[in-house]
Amino acid sequence: MKQTFSILSALSLLTMPTIRAMGADSFFTEEVWPKVGAHSCLKCHKDGGDAEDSKFVLQDPARDATPGRHVSLIHNRAAFSRMAKAVKDGESRLLLKAAGKLDHEGEVVLKPDSTGYRILDKFVRQLDSAQPQAAKDAPPFFDGISMLDDQRLLRRVTLSLAGRLPSDAELKSLGKPDALTKVLDAVMKEDAFYDRLREGFNDIFLTVGIDGNADATVLAYEHFEKTKLWYQKWEFKEITDPKERQQAKYRIAREYREALLGEPMKLIEHIVRSDRPFTEIVTADYAMMTPYTSRGYGMFDEIKDRFKEVNDPFEYIPVRLKALKGRSRQTDQDSETGFYPHAGVLGSFQYLTRYPTTETNRNRLRARMFYQHFLGVDVLELAARVSDAAAATAKYKVPTMEAAECVVCHKTLDPVAGLFQDYWKFAAEGVYGKRKGGWFTDMFGAGYEGEDLAPQERWRSLQWLGERTAKDPRFAVAMVEHVYYIVTGRKVLLPPKDLDDPLFTAHHRAQQEQRALIETIATRFAKNGFNLKNVFKDWIASDFYRADGLTSIAINPAREAELDDLCLVRMLAPEQVERKLVAIFGKGWGRLHSNDGGLGMLYGGIDSKEVTERAADPSGAMGAIQRLLSNDVACKATALDFSRPIAERLLFPHVETDVVPGTTESDAKIRRTIGHLHQRILGRVEASEIERTFQLFSGIVADANERKGLEKQESYYCRPAPDQNPSPDPHYTLRAWRGVVTYLLRQHDFLYE
Amino acid sequence: MRRDFIKCCTLAGLGLSIPRALRSASKENVAYEGPYYVVFNASGGWDTTYLMDPKGINEINRLYKEGDILTHGRHKFAPNAKHIQGGMSNEDFYKEFGSELLTLNGLDYSVNNHSPGARYMATGKLDSLAYPTFAALVAACKGPTCPISFLTFGNYSNTGNVVAMSRVPYPQSLQRIANADYVEGNVRSPYHDDFALDRIERALEEQNAARASQIRLPRQERAQSMLYAAQVNSKALQRVTPYIPKSIPKERLSQQAEIALASFKAGVCVSANLSIGQFDSHANNDVDQMKLIPEFLAGIAYFIRRAEEIKIRDKLVVIIQSEMGRTPDYNKGNGKDHWSVGSIMFIGPGIKGDRLIGATDEKQLHVPLNPQTLVTDKEKGIRVRPEHIHHALRQFAGIAEHPFSKKFPLGVKEPEVLKGLWG
Repeated sequence: MKQTFSILSALSLLTMPTIRAMGADSFFTEEVWPKVGAHSCLKCHKDGGDAEDSKFVLQDPARDATPGRHVSLIHNRAAFSRMAKAVKDGESRLLLKAAGKLDHEGEVVLKPDSTGYRILDKFVRQLDSAQPQAAKDAPPFFDGISMLDDQRLLRRVTLSLAGRLPSDAELKSLGKPDALTKVLDAVMKEDAFYDRLREGFNDIFLTVGIDGNADATVLAYEHFEKTKLWYQKWEFKEITDPKERQQAKYRIAREYREALLGEPMKLIEHIVRSDRPFTEIVTADYAMMTPYTSRGYGMFDEIKDRFKEVNDPFEYIPVRLKALKGRSRQTDQDSETGFYPHAGVLGSFQYLTRYPTTETNRNRLRARMFYQHFLGVDVLELAARVSDAAAATAKYKVPTMEAAECVVCHKTLDPVAGLFQDYWKFAAEGVYGKRKGGWFTDMFGAGYEGEDLAPQERWRSLQWLGERTAKDPRFAVAMVEHVYYIVTGRKVLLPPKDLDDPLFTAHHRAQQEQRALIETIATRFAKNGFNLKNVFKDWIASDFYRADGLTSIAINPAREAELDDLCLVRMLAPEQVERKLVAIFGKGWGRLHSNDGGLGMLYGGIDSKEVTERAADPSGAMGAIQRLLSNDVACKATALDFSRPIAERLLFPHVETDVVPGTTESDAKIRRTIGHLHQRILGRVEASEIERTFQLFSGIVADANERKGLEKQESYYCRPAPDQNPSPDPHYTLRAWRGVVTYLLRQHDFLYE
Repeated sequence: MRRDFIKCCTLAGLGLSIPRALRSASKENVAYEGPYYVVFNASGGWDTTYLMDPKGINEINRLYKEGDILTHGRHKFAPNAKHIQGGMSNEDFYKEFGSELLTLNGLDYSVNNHSPGARYMATGKLDSLAYPTFAALVAACKGPTCPISFLTFGNYSNTGNVVAMSRVPYPQSLQRIANADYVEGNVRSPYHDDFALDRIERALEEQNAARASQIRLPRQERAQSMLYAAQVNSKALQRVTPYIPKSIPKERLSQQAEIALASFKAGVCVSANLSIGQFDSHANNDVDQMKLIPEFLAGIAYFIRRAEEIKIRDKLVVIIQSEMGRTPDYNKGNGKDHWSVGSIMFIGPGIKGDRLIGATDEKQLHVPLNPQTLVTDKEKGIRVRPEHIHHALRQFAGIAEHPFSKKFPLGVKEPEVLKGLWG
């Protein structure tokens, strides 16, 4: 694992102490900035902010690509110091302004009895006495944390990313130089990895969650009137049976719609699979099309020679779409190149349809989603309290441009909304179209972060946005955060907000440690050409991914708070459970899908429409599904496996059903089999647990021996195949093994990652 | 503090060191017998001036004038019977429930965006993503061993990691899993013989106890204990099936109601979060609100009437809310935009009805409320915000001192506590 070590070493180079050494002391970085600066000042006092013309202009660390964001933090400390040292009538201007004095346009930001004010006051006094607080000598963050061993790490990786168990060759390679890197390189060539990649990014972008039939909603009547319903003219001459023909028509329509919905995620697959820069999700000058979807776009005849199989509904290739032609010349799309101005996922019909606009929303939803998806900024996540929002709204004619409380966000959001101005079609009308009478004048004009969109760029406004997005340091950070979400199932930590929380510092440290790694990975990601595979590798090599337990009791509440979010511990989503079953048993359960009749939604799955967040913890209903699954899978798998030749068995290669407990030899065989099952199903072999399972198996057999009247064969429902009789089970061992499999399937090590 | 939290989990049946008495209680699947808490959400932002806070002046409402405003007891409400096509009119709603209804007007939502508004109203905390909703909190405190203790059909539903949320899309889906130890749910066809299943359960229990004695990270501890609790407590789902109706109503809220009511009646659920959307009437406000308010009220009435039929109404606490109000003026599209002042309503045992507390002025702006007297008072009044409501709700539910509640403090100072809100 030398390779792992080298990555870890690199990733741990830049942390808060480095920043302190460079000039931003710990009191500023741990108290003043997170509790006051970032919390209360930055939203206005920055370039593009409402107070950008003041003398107190801060830098947003989120836009600082330097390691540890040290440049912005040093700048900000200097700004705070200057303001703190400036005195008016014997009082620091920093404190006076914060308290709403000296005509502070932001009015009262901190009340004198608030925690924030007390922190600022201390900062000012420290400056006066020229005795900045020394950095605390906290022990390393991962002190006392045990890490996953290489074998279990490998199992986690192959199951998580490729839905399979590690191969023997992979297991044997452990210990060799760069073993994990080589495995990861191979895994990231497998189709299963790309299934997982698309699924993971859809959890974020939700583009398959478009209402209605995709051919009707994604492809506008205005532009694709003559082509989008191509499948209705498909004759199926080769099918003579009318019923079969009808079924074929249904199938072709279903596959066409599925292929349309799949295009944005297939674009992501194409970028990653081809080792292209991941910035193409906002800059790609092409879309992905299949033989079916290209017919819908009217492009098939031009590109059909590029397909390997012209009737494969799901063979995707990159294609540039021509500029849209309307039903009248006025509705033709402006284009200086003659092509649609693609901008990766951002400009795709599916993305724009999934996040539509309305007359009154004015593309603000799209702007909000743009910030969230591509820059990792949720503008509504922690909205600031307004002293009297209704009064502010009533006071101004255009509050979003005049009321300070509103301008804070709208000055950023509305220009991006303006960039979507030519995608002004409402529900089921398509996406492209200009607003009659021009764009709204009671909004900040189209642009991005203080830069206005030039009129000649309007036809390609989303490309213009994509180009700037790709250069924004927040893009790389957001993508690193997305990968974290995919591999862990949860979002990254947010800065704590409750200044009075006695554990604030501990939560802040946990967030900062994670943030430091995110930024380090993001920096490497950007430096190395935005290859997303490297981000997966970096996360997997990190201590955050490998942390697996405590080596000693953390008795300090602050330390416990620091570790609160540490360790992967992810309840598998329904799709992941099915894949894991396939990996272990060779066959899934088949009942955890989210379609009609499936239990996927009840098991915490999503439909990408109304239910968009996966359940993180099991409810009682999910507990019932786990019981049902464990019973049913064990029922179907146990007798089936015993019915196979021993060399072909997945579960019971070391035992037959005539082996009963009681002799040294038989007990050894049973224990060996239990060890095999533990390894296969749980990925963990512990002597105490082997013994517990042995007691379960032998206890069931013993109980059965004491019962009279039990059947001498396995249950009818658990026969190896529908056309076979139940397997003989004179010693009750088959059913006892089934009990063991049920027991193992109900365990945390199977149901969680 | 986290030790306290783990202790809470333990007491609540989530922890691994479940005391013997509680563990056996959990195994016996003791039914939860109420009170049941149901939160109705008008998602998107309702127009309170077309329901419980009528104005009819300053062109706030186009469908009626000030003189048209109706009363029922101490309540004032907007007339709408002439403008609706379906659902339940305000007139009928107040006639049926006015004497039990507590309304608070002039609630300061403080923000006028959906996400923070929904979060604030649901949790009582604006600046945190960690807080549980009231429905989740009360479920965790009162029914931690219930298999679907906190049921949600949408809207903001964060649990604060104190209880698992359950989403049940269709009543039939509960039927499919209620008898999980039997083939196709048929109680005559168990997967395992009883002695084998008993051995399996005992082995899992022992393993669970063994894990509890190990040193683990907080996430491992929480996950393993919640998993075990979920599986053990899920057996109580068997009680739901008799209460699932054979025919399911078509209306959105009524469908949610049937699932929640069956779960309440079976004693497997403490709280439910019901929701219908599309109240965000930026265009054609009056058309939309005249369609949605009646649908919303009809759903609430359906719920309460069905609760009466299955004899749990006397244990039913109803909270009726939205994440924001709508502006006092119409925009160019005849719609109304977001407004940060609104209302909330309550019905339930222990809540004195026929009461109207708080107010907005002629511009639909908040009027301060004296928390001691509950009368409007521009001098000594406060801005009543969601944390004040949640503080009162926690006290009302008897969970204010529960360790889970203390883990998520609301920061309401004593002089601002609403005295006698429930009457």
